[in-house]
Amino acid sequence: MSTVTTDSTLAAPARGSRTMTVWIGVLIALILIGFAVWIYQMIHGLQITHMRDNVIWGVYIITFMFFVGLSAGGLIVASAGRLFNVERFTPIVRLAVVEATVTIATAALLIIPDLGHAGRIYNLFFHPHWLSPMIWDLTVILVYLVLSLLYLWLYMRRDLAARGSWMALGTKDTSDKARAHDHHLTYTLAWIALPAAVLVHSITAWIFGLQISRGFWYSAIMPPLFISSALVSGLALVTILAFIVRRSGRVSFGDELGGFLGGLLAVFLAVEAFLVLCEVLAGYYPGIPTDAVHQLFTGRYAPGFGVEIVVGLVIPFVLMARAALRRQPRFVVTASVLALIGIFVHRANLIVIGLGKDPITLPPGTPLGTPQANGSSFATSSVYFPSVWEFLVVLGIVGLSALLFTLAIKYLPLKEKSPT
Amino acid sequence: MSTSYVGIDVPDPALQKATRLGMVVDQDRCIGCWSCAVACKEQQDVGIGLYWLRVLTVGGDAMDVPAGTFPALTMSYQSTNCFHCDNPPCVKACPTQATYKMPNGIVNVNYDRCIGCRYCMVACPYDNRVFNWRAPVQEPPASVTVVGETPARPKGVVEKCTFCVQRTSDGLLPRCVVACPTGARVFGDLDDPNSKVSILLRDRPSYVVFPERGTKPSLHYLIRQGPNTVGGAL
Repeated sequence: MSTVTTDSTLAAPARGSRTMTVWIGVLIALILIGFAVWIYQMIHGLQITHMRDNVIWGVYIITFMFFVGLSAGGLIVASAGRLFNVERFTPIVRLAVVEATVTIATAALLIIPDLGHAGRIYNLFFHPHWLSPMIWDLTVILVYLVLSLLYLWLYMRRDLAARGSWMALGTKDTSDKARAHDHHLTYTLAWIALPAAVLVHSITAWIFGLQISRGFWYSAIMPPLFISSALVSGLALVTILAFIVRRSGRVSFGDELGGFLGGLLAVFLAVEAFLVLCEVLAGYYPGIPTDAVHQLFTGRYAPGFGVEIVVGLVIPFVLMARAALRRQPRFVVTASVLALIGIFVHRANLIVIGLGKDPITLPPGTPLGTPQANGSSFATSSVYFPSVWEFLVVLGIVGLSALLFTLAIKYLPLKEKSPT
Repeated sequence: MSTSYVGIDVPDPALQKATRLGMVVDQDRCIGCWSCAVACKEQQDVGIGLYWLRVLTVGGDAMDVPAGTFPALTMSYQSTNCFHCDNPPCVKACPTQATYKMPNGIVNVNYDRCIGCRYCMVACPYDNRVFNWRAPVQEPPASVTVVGETPARPKGVVEKCTFCVQRTSDGLLPRCVVACPTGARVFGDLDDPNSKVSILLRDRPSYVVFPERGTKPSLHYLIRQGPNTVGGAL
């Protein structure tokens, strides 16, 4: 049986390989451009971004949160499936762990361009300050990365050994008994992976949620909200990837799995909607006109909140709540894409609204860090939209993520055989 | 050794022994002239676009604009630099211990340690920290002002008011206090009951900014008591 996986890896369709070459070429181009822009940013400083002293963090941190969420969501779905023996997940469980591993590595990379003095990043290890949630996050992300790599390897090492890959790292035994042993080990590791995935995103939430300086963030609901966003986006990405990879034959499952994933997505969307309601209502009800929550309904960011609710929550929920539509892969993928967009916008709203409203609104306001076109160095509030440079750096890192994922799909045995 | 201003700078040994340096700003005396802010920029070689000290207007919705309708107008100034909190959220947030609390109460920044993540700026409820988005540009160049007293900052690090740590460690007053033409800024040891700051805080009603956030600022404002409306003054 083990030779089957070897065949499916080597026998890539000829038409697909040309598309693959173009795809990899585009990704490498994106990576090189992003890297060049990062060098340019290192030379000229973060002034090439549109972040300033009143909107301190921007698209780098938004995308960082988004990718930590993608990873946590993917691993929660994969390990919960393993832990509760949801056999239906089995065909895509390896894919989900690959997704979790690649996205957490991407998230870690996304921090680097945000640093003003990235060359001193070693200070995080030499002089850690254990009261800082950022150090908690760094620690948990590194542990989590190692854990998901180990988890992935445990899932695959017998298949890797069977095809004689160096990635088996000395594993030779490919007997059914050894496979059963590993199957049990993945169960044990799922016990660690599930809480670790919850923790990795809770701590990311605490980076924001523990800061009393920002009223929009300082809330106990942040970790649950982050976890629910992670579940929606992680499941959505795994679903999309599963349908894409299925076309190459490297994973195989029936459309009914899509239906199951779509139904699960509807549940996660409902939870997300509930938590967003809890958060917004608690901010809105007291009727304090200066509260940042009002920016969700009026002003420049209001369309973003509309997208978050309508495109990201209502439409995919309505689609996936109907069993007839869940059975059709194109609707499942559409709903997943919309949910992904919605969660990204949700996270962007969280950052720009949380930071954009100055704690001190007395005129002339906050010094911005560079002189502005109108001659003033101050502003009482500000709006943020990323500069072209920021987009290019983010695209480069996302391109690297896509390249890693493409290579993983190409070279790793993704087909899981159900133990019988 | 800091540059001394003859006739003004008299070293005060009490400042060197202080355990909680703090500042009191008298809103009855402050005229909103920004002399403190300009002196600060010169003393600390603060780059263009960055301010360690700014004078906020408490009144209308623009600088130097009072609130209300003539003649019932009200306005005061809240000149703001780092509050050197007793419970500083920035120190907690910093992942590399680049910002830290000194034994004399000053919250200082190690510019060689800072990685530029700006988490301290996120944590500060007062927007009192500024970031070098580019290599600092001084006008006039730093070389024609006070040379070598403040460590140079590279691009990509956070900076803020240090209560002129180079001067106060020599027992001299911060430059903004020296520069204030109306004596609105008073500096001293909040732990010493006989210091000028402690006496003022006992004698006059005062406030700190956002006391409900529990940061315990070491910069207090004496509430304006004089005639606060044009009608009253006339």
